[in-house]
This record gives sequence, C-alpha cells and structure tokens, in this order.
Amino acid sequence: MIDDVIRLENIVKVYPPSVVAVDNVSVSFRKGEIHAVVGENGAGKSTLMKVLYGLVPRDGGEIYYQDRPVHFRQAGEAIAAGIGMVHQEILLIPEYTVWQNIVLGQEPTRFLGQVDTARARRLVKQKIDEFQFNLDPDALVGEISVAARQKVEILKLLYRNVSVLILDEPTAVLTPQEIPQLFGELGRLRDDGHTILFISHRLEEVLTLSDRVTVMRRGKKIDTVDAKTTSKEELARMMVGRDVVLTSQRREHAPGEVIFETEHLSYKDGEGRQKLNDINLTVRAGEIVGVAGVEGNGQFELVNAVVGLIQPSGGTIRVQGRDITRAPILERRRLISFVPQDRGRMGASLNASILENAIMTHHSLDQNFSRWHGLLLDYAHARRFTDGLEKQFSVAMASKFNPFRSLSGGNQQKVILGRELLLDSVFVLLDQPTRGLDVGSIEYVHQQVLRMRDENRAVLLVSADLEELFLLADRIVVMHRGELVADSPVGQTSLEEVGYRMLEGRGEPR
Amino acid sequence: MRNKWVSGLLGVLAALLIGAFIMLLQGFNPLDVYAALFQFSLGGLSPLATTAKNAVPLVLTGLSASIAFASGPVNLGQPGQFLMGALFATVGGLYIHLPPVLEVAVLVLLAMLGGALWAGLAALLRMLFNMSEFIVTLMLNMIADFFTAWAIAGPFMDKSAYSPMTPQIDPAGWLPSIGNFNTTILFMIAAVGVCWFVFNRWKAGYEWRLSGQNSLFARLGGCNIDRNFVSVMLFTGALAGLAGGLLVMAGPHRFLKGLGANYAWDGVMIAIVANNGLIATLLYGFFFSAIQTGALGMELITAVPSEISQVLQAVLVLVIVASREALNVILDRREARRRAKERAA
Repeated sequence: MIDDVIRLENIVKVYPPSVVAVDNVSVSFRKGEIHAVVGENGAGKSTLMKVLYGLVPRDGGEIYYQDRPVHFRQAGEAIAAGIGMVHQEILLIPEYTVWQNIVLGQEPTRFLGQVDTARARRLVKQKIDEFQFNLDPDALVGEISVAARQKVEILKLLYRNVSVLILDEPTAVLTPQEIPQLFGELGRLRDDGHTILFISHRLEEVLTLSDRVTVMRRGKKIDTVDAKTTSKEELARMMVGRDVVLTSQRREHAPGEVIFETEHLSYKDGEGRQKLNDINLTVRAGEIVGVAGVEGNGQFELVNAVVGLIQPSGGTIRVQGRDITRAPILERRRLISFVPQDRGRMGASLNASILENAIMTHHSLDQNFSRWHGLLLDYAHARRFTDGLEKQFSVAMASKFNPFRSLSGGNQQKVILGRELLLDSVFVLLDQPTRGLDVGSIEYVHQQVLRMRDENRAVLLVSADLEELFLLADRIVVMHRGELVADSPVGQTSLEEVGYRMLEGRGEPR
Repeated sequence: MRNKWVSGLLGVLAALLIGAFIMLLQGFNPLDVYAALFQFSLGGLSPLATTAKNAVPLVLTGLSASIAFASGPVNLGQPGQFLMGALFATVGGLYIHLPPVLEVAVLVLLAMLGGALWAGLAALLRMLFNMSEFIVTLMLNMIADFFTAWAIAGPFMDKSAYSPMTPQIDPAGWLPSIGNFNTTILFMIAAVGVCWFVFNRWKAGYEWRLSGQNSLFARLGGCNIDRNFVSVMLFTGALAGLAGGLLVMAGPHRFLKGLGANYAWDGVMIAIVANNGLIATLLYGFFFSAIQTGALGMELITAVPSEISQVLQAVLVLVIVASREALNVILDRREARRRAKERAA
C-alpha cells in the first residue's frame, strides 16, 4: 500500500426502492494523485463521491481515511476532516466579493466577534498567491466568469485546509480556452501534496489530466488503470462494455432550398433587456446549422421565439415561406419538430405514462388518432403508435403504461426524439439534445441528427458542446449577447476561433 | 395500484383507532359509537338508501374539485356553483311546467347551466384580465351566498312561509323514489361514468390531464391551454351546479335558507383525500356520507354528540393524506435495505 489516503471498501448504496446506484465498490485513492472517476450517466460515480463526502448515507461498506474508519453524516464533518467537494452547480452569493464568499462561515474575528475584514482579505490573498490562482479578491462574484467562480469554490475549500478535493464534472461549464488553465492549477495543487478526485465523462481530458483512472459501469467498478498506459478507446470500451464509434459518419451532399429563415429578429424581455438583437439566420433543407455560444447569450430566447413561447418584439420568422412569427403553437408544430433542452420540464410529463408522452402533438395533427370526428382519442391507435416508436427507436421500456420517469435519461430522449421525428416536419429544432446523456445515448442521438440531414430536413442545433457542433454541423453560427457574431461553414473555422467568438463577440482576433 | 388500496384502508383503520382513543378520553365507549354509526348508515336497506342519497352532493362536488385540480385550474368555487345550480333548478321548477320526464331533464340541464355560468365568470375574468381563478372563485362563493339569500327572501319568496324559502317546485320535477332509493342516485352514477369517459377517453380529457401534470409541455405539444382552461371550468362548474339542482329536486323540493350547508367544502376535502382520483372520489364520498348519516342516528340512541363525526372526519383526512406517502416511503426504504444486504453479502 503506497500512501493510500482514502480507502473505500465494499461500498453499497441503494436508492429506495431498488435502484442499486453503487454495487459493492472498493477503491483507494493515493496521496498526491489526480484520480479520475469515469463512467456513463447513472454509472454511480457521483453517488460514490457523495457517499464518501457524507451527502448520501451508505447502506453498506467501510470508508477509511488515513487508515481510520470514518462515517461522515454531513458535508461539514468531511470538510473538517480535510475532504472537500466542488459541485456541478456553483453555490456562491453573487452580491458578495470573492474574499467574502471564501471566508463565509469561517470568518476571522476580532475580540468582540466582529469580522476582521483586513485579516480575512489578507488570508484570502495569501491563498490566491500561494496557488497562483489569478483572481481579484475584491471582485464581485456576480461579475466574474464561470471559470473564476469555480476557482472561488476551490479556494473556499483550500481556505478550510482540505487535503482531498472532489470535483464533479468541473469542465462541463468551461469554454475550451479556460480548461487548460484549470488543469494547470489542479496540477500545482497535486504537486503540493493534495489529492484530487475528479468526475468526468470526457475521456480526452481525463487522459491529459489524471494519474490514475477508475472506470465505473452500472454501479460496479470495472477497473482502476494508470492513465499513462491506457487509451481513449480502452476507457470507452470499459465504460460502455463494447466498442463505440466516437466519430459519427456523415455523407456529403449539397443543401437545398431555404426552409427556415429569420429576418431582423429581436426580443426584449420584461425588464427591457435586449435578449435578441437583429438575428438573421437561414437553414436550408439537408443542412445542419449549429448555434454555439456561452449559455445565456440569447440561445434560449431564440428557441422560445421559434416555438412560440415568447413573442418577438420585431422581425419575422418563416418556415417554408410561411410567416409564423405570430402563429399559434399548434400551427407551428405542423412545420417544426422540437427537442427541448429540459426533458422533464418542456419535453415530457414525467408522471404521465410513456404512451401519453409519445402521442403528444400527434394526437391533434394526425387524423388516425381521432374517432367520433375528433371527440375521442383512439387509444388502440395510440398503443400501436407507441409500439411502433418503441421498435423503430429501440427504446428499452418495461411497459408503455409505466410513468415516463421510470425510463433512463437515454430512453426518455429516444421517446422524445422518436415522437418529434415521426411528425415528419420539414424543420427540426434541437436544443441541447445530448445534455445529460451517456456516451452510448449521445452516439445514438448523433446518428439520428445525421439521419434527419440525409432525409433532407433543415436542422437547427443549439449546443453548448463545441465538439458536438463540429462533429455534426455544416455551418456554425455564434451567439454573443443576443447577436449573431459569426457565421461560417464548418470547414472554414476552428474550435479555437469559435471559442474566441463565444467569449469576445465580434472583437478582433488575437 | 395495490399500494393505493392498502394505504387507503390502513389510513381508514388508523383514523378509526385514533377516533376511538379520543372517544375513550371523553368517556364514551367507542365500540357502541361505531356500532351505532354502522347501524344507521349501512345496517339495512333504509339506512343504506339514506347514505347513498346523502352521498350525491358530496360525490358530485368532489368530482368537480378532483377534475379541476387534476387538470390544473384551481376551481374552489364549488359552494357558489352549487348554490347557483340549485337556484337555477328551483326557479325553472317554479315557472316551467312540462310532463315529468321532460321537466326533470330541463331542470337538470338548468342546474348544470347555473353552475357552469358561475364558474365561467371566473374563467372569463382569467382570460380577460389574467385574474387568478383561485381568488375569484372563492370571492364568487360569497356573492352566490348573498345573491341566493336575496333571491329566496325577495323575488322568489314563498309569501306563506315564516322563514326565507321559495315555494315548492312543480311536482313534475320531483325526483321519484324506487323503493327506499331515490333516483338522484342514478344521476350520480351516470355523472361518475360520464366523467370517467370524458377524462379518460376524450381527446379533451387527455389534454386536460397532461396540462394538469405539466402545462408547459402540453402547451409546447400544441394543446390549446386557454381553451382547455375554460372548458375545465365550465365542466366542473356544471358538476357542482348539478349537485345543487339534484339536492333540491330530491329533497325539500324548494330552495330554503342554508340549503348548501357544507356539502361543497366537504366535496373539496374528499377530492384532496382521494388524490383527485375519480373512482376514489366516489368511494370516499360514500364513506364520508356514511359517517355523517350514521352520526345523526347515533345521536338518537347514545349520549354521544353527533359532532364526534366531524372529529372523525378531520382525523380521517389527516391520517389518509399523511399515510398515502408515508407507506410508500417506508416500503421503499425496507426494499432498499434488503437489496443492500443482498449486495454486500
């Protein structure tokens, strides 16, 4: 045993009633290593870390920290012992400055209990300099970038002198430019003797950053391997249990006529903020146009304006020559297939049955669902339709009468994709269609998107994942503060250029 | 599915036990009380008929609340819609004279119209001014209360009576009895059937249910949310109005002061206990009616005040609603522990 700082032995966690999230996992983490935990969504990697951190009570097994058995009942106990976790969602107070956020809950005080602001600020500054974090301690957290906020989260833990850091998908919120900097900082922390456990499903960065990699699949540990001696393909095989093609094949063909078109599209929100500013965008038949951008730069408003959830303040939206700017939603749905980013909120009703979710929109557009002149819903046809969808899109389901929430994320997305594709509409709007899916499901969605292109539909794909856009899109446009700041065929641009436009807008390239 | 029945039955049993404990504290013998309750509600054809008849307003207002809540609109206007339905049927019965079957049909339709109009007013205000139907329906209850009080003390008052009430309606509009059973029960059974069919077979019912569960999803799917809102309000208003009309036609055959009593609020309570299920609303409505009917008889032969039935009802509501989730949580945890042991072994 070489300096194992943490040993997990036979950890079991069952979410009631019977979801075995972590299935008898034993793994150990060494002092001074970066240890990646990889696996598909639902493989149990987050749960395992939460068990270690004391956020989720375990049902079996032992945890040894510095060779002593420990049992954290809440996060505070873990932090006091020296283990800290940075969550995917950033939990800071935007109105406070960086140093205020960092000392919050453990402020240095003077004799009467007042916060010793000068000392607090100095202590934070010391930590920033010690780890070369390149942060201004007096900046307001609400005004700094997501990457900087993440650093604040990490510093918060370092300020509390933790020696083990758990990071849950730290790169998910970062742009390509910001990732190397984070990796540099994590590397320095390791050299300083910290242990870093980091959850990810991006294999490339796992290989560049970590020393060892533990692969999980369906709650079980598959193996722990040295990062130096493994490869992306081997890790992917261990994760999904079979070979995966990480590059989908696309056939070349020339796009046809213009199907989707916006002219001078603008939108101001209730508080008068210009969320969309003079958007001119076209999508042709058989073409995939990717919309890139840091989240919150108007992509969501663009999607909502197209499907009819918000009324633009100016401009027009046309599909197949028809002006739908003010059309009711059902009219739009004759022309538009829509896969929203939030499955549970916009794409489905989680408590309704799979069947009831599968027939939405079809029930009013397709006459086969009607009996008695549209008064009755033909449930026999609905059952046949759902069976057909299940087969055609290979959905794994126990029964179509079960609630939609009983499906895994990937299968939920298959039902939604299937429902929308079967609408046979000319224009397909995809908003982050692979968000939160595992590698196998992502691959499936990608194939379906390319199939839509081959079927000569016009596809508008909004995605926060640049690699996905470069893999699928024929043209990439970039949104920045409500404007389109770049529009070029995928062959004439690069990951770096698009990343730069996402951050800097129209400004001159460096 | 099985759990729903089990947790419902366990909830009822637990509530009866707690009720027994309260009676013991008061110095009554709970066995005597429960025996009397049973005897006067279900112990024979005549008590059973009374219980069934008393269940009608509870079940119908309960259905009204269940369908509204399950579809999204917070229609809490059942008391007002109930009174307006009763008033419409009464006034119709005073001035319209037709052969018996036709008269009954016309009065029933009038009752439904009255309730639907009253609920439709709330829907209209929602559509025009985006006023919350939650507040508006509650306020309209007050207005209906005073409006009907004025109507039976003013234009439609029976001059020969000593308290505010209307004259009796045309006997052609009286609902006849078959043996012990009043035909109002048939209307209730038909209403349950129609509600089930509309809710589970009509295209509109599908849209109502899905809008109730996730309105944004239904809207994106092309459901006309506004139209559905208005139709749910009209439909549930008509149900509450029907309850009021049937009460007049089966019972006193006139609108007298205090006619509505607590029926509609009890109906809302039953909908909550039934978790907005249609069949569950029918069963719980019948059960609550049995307790209320039995309590009246019990008072005659025991020293226990009939108010004990209200204590029982309150305990039932609390225990059933609480146990619904509690049982699932307990069973799920036990299953999880069993699984974990199996894995660790």
